[in-house]
Amino acid sequence: MSSDFELLIPIQQWLYREARLLDSRRFDLWLGLLDESIRYRIPNRALVRQAHAKDFSTWSVERELDGADSLALIDDDLAALRYRVGRLQSGMAWAETPPSMSRRLVSNVMIDSVREGCVSVVSTIFLAKSRNDGRVLFTAERRDKLAPIGADFRLRERYVVLDDAVLAADNLSLLF
Amino acid sequence: MNSQPSVPLDRERYVARDGSWVMPIIFSDPTLYEIEKQRIFGRSWLLLGHESQLPRPGSFLRSWMGEESVLVTRDRNGKIRAHLNACRHRGYQLCQEDRGTGQRFQCRYHGWTYDSDGSLAAVPGEESIYYREIDKPKWGLVPVPRLDTFRGLIFGNFDPDACSLEDYLGDMAWYLDIVLDRCAGGTELLGPQRWRIAANWKVVAENHCGDEYHVGFAHGSVFPNLAANRATPIPYAREIRPAMGHGLGANVFPDEMPPEEWLKAGLGEFPPPVYDYMLRIYDETLRRLGKQRAHISLIHGAVWPNFGMVPIVNSFRVIQPRGVNEVEMWSYSLVDREAPAEVKAWFAAQSARTFGPAGSFEQDDAGNWTAVTRSSCGFESRKHRLNLQMGLGHEERSDRFPGELGLTASEINQRGFYLRWMRDMFDGETRDE
Repeated sequence: MSSDFELLIPIQQWLYREARLLDSRRFDLWLGLLDESIRYRIPNRALVRQAHAKDFSTWSVERELDGADSLALIDDDLAALRYRVGRLQSGMAWAETPPSMSRRLVSNVMIDSVREGCVSVVSTIFLAKSRNDGRVLFTAERRDKLAPIGADFRLRERYVVLDDAVLAADNLSLLF
Repeated sequence: MNSQPSVPLDRERYVARDGSWVMPIIFSDPTLYEIEKQRIFGRSWLLLGHESQLPRPGSFLRSWMGEESVLVTRDRNGKIRAHLNACRHRGYQLCQEDRGTGQRFQCRYHGWTYDSDGSLAAVPGEESIYYREIDKPKWGLVPVPRLDTFRGLIFGNFDPDACSLEDYLGDMAWYLDIVLDRCAGGTELLGPQRWRIAANWKVVAENHCGDEYHVGFAHGSVFPNLAANRATPIPYAREIRPAMGHGLGANVFPDEMPPEEWLKAGLGEFPPPVYDYMLRIYDETLRRLGKQRAHISLIHGAVWPNFGMVPIVNSFRVIQPRGVNEVEMWSYSLVDREAPAEVKAWFAAQSARTFGPAGSFEQDDAGNWTAVTRSSCGFESRKHRLNLQMGLGHEERSDRFPGELGLTASEINQRGFYLRWMRDMFDGETRDE
C-alpha cells in the first residue's frame, strides 16, 4: 500500500506530461514514451441485454466491450502507432491539417497493481477537441501498463474504454 | 388525397440526363429527403446484418432500414425474422439493446410482450381490463415484408412487390461472390464500429460506389507517391458498373500473372501467415469461381443505395441516414469464417487501421463529406451544378466480365448512382400510396 502510494506521484506526473505532449502536438516525442512491445486498443462498445437485471454484479462494462477477436476502433502495435503519427506530418492528413485544438484532462488516477515491476494504472480521461466542425467531447477510462525504465516509465499497454456505443464524432484522429 | 410531398416539377433540374452533373440541392433539401425515405429506403433491398451475428435460436440484433429501427431475430425454430422495432400498443421502440439473446421482448412502457417470432405473447391486464377482447394474433410486430439472404448477408425490403434480391443485385452478385463465396466456409462480420458524420447519405454512398479520383489526393497522406501521379490511370484497375446504382472498382490481373506477384499489390504487405493464407484462398477461389474471378481483386464498391464496401481491406459498411444532413456509419470487418484466428485478427486490425473512424483513410473522408454537405445548404452555392463528367462517353465493355467499364479513375459509377436516384425518385411517383 505504502509503496503504491509512493509510486502515485511519479505515475501521475508521467500521465500529465504525456497529456501535455499530445495537447501540444508533439506526437513525435510521445512515441518516445512507448515500450517496444506496446499494444494500444480501443474496443467497440455496444448496448447489450443484461443477463440478470436484479444482480448488479452482472451489469458489467466488460460485457459491453467487444473481445480481442473482434473489430476494434484502434488496435495498434508500435509500428502501427509510428505510422499513425508519421502520417499526421505528411501535410495531407486533412483531418488534422490544420490541427485540432485539443485538451486532455487526466483524473481519477489509481494504481491497480504492481507485478513484475510493471505498474497497472487506471485513469479517467476527458478529451475535448474543436475544429471547423464544432466541438467534440470524449470521456473514457484508460487501463495502462507502465514499465519502469530507471526513474521513468514506458507505456506497454493501453486499453481505452470509451463511454460511447455510437461515437458522436466524425473521426478519431486524436489519441487518448 | 396524396399526403406525401411531391418532387418539385422539372426532373431536369436535379441530375443531368446523362448524369454528367448534379445539383447540390439534392444533398440538403428536406422535402427530397422525405421522398427518399419512401421511394428509395422504402423500396430497396437494405443490408440488415449477417447470419453469423445470430448464432442460435434467441439471438437478436437491432438494425436499421433507412430511419426505421428493425429488430432482427432468430426464432425458436432457427428461422431469421425481421420486424419493425415498435410495440403495436403505443409505438415504443421495443428493443433498446444493440444485440443479445432472449426469446421475449417486453415493452418498457406498458409491458406488452412479444415472442422472438414477432407474435404478441402477453398483454398485462388482458383478462381484467381488456375483457379478453384483444385479438392477440392481429397485434403481432409488423414484419418486414421481404427478407432474404445472399451468402449469409441478411437483406430486407419494405416493398412487398419488390423484385427478388437476386434480380436486384444482378451482375453485382457475380462480383460480390469474389469475397463472399471464395471459400467453402463462408464469411462472418466483425463489429460494427459506429460513428456519426454530418453529411448527406448520398455524398458518402457515391464515394464508395465510384470515387477512385479522390484516393490520390484526399488520401495523399497514405499514398505520398500516388498523390504526385494522380492524373495517371492505375494499371490493372477498372471502375465497373454492373447496373445503375451499383458500382465497384477492382484490380483485374492478367490470367498469366501469378498470384504471388499481384498479391503484393494490396495495401501494404501481408505478414507471412496471412500471405500463405491468401495463396491458399487463391487456389480455392480458382476451384470455386474459375480463373476469371480468381484474378479479380475488389477495391471498393457499393450496392444501391447505402451498402458500401472497401473489400481491399475487408471493410463493409452501411451508411445509415439520420436526417437529410447526417449519417451513422456502421462499419464491419468481413472475414472468412474458417480462417485461422491470427489471420482474422490481422484483417480486423487492418480494417481498423485504414477504414473506420480512426483509420488512416477514413479520418480524412469525413471532412470531405461534411464540407460537400455544408456547401449544399447555402442558398446561392446550391444553385450551381457539380461536375461529374469524367470519362463520359468512354465507357466500355469486356467479354471477360459483366458490366460497363471505365478507367480508374472515371465517374462512370457516380453517374450510374445519380441516374438510379432519378429513376427511383421520379419513376416511383406513380406507386406512392
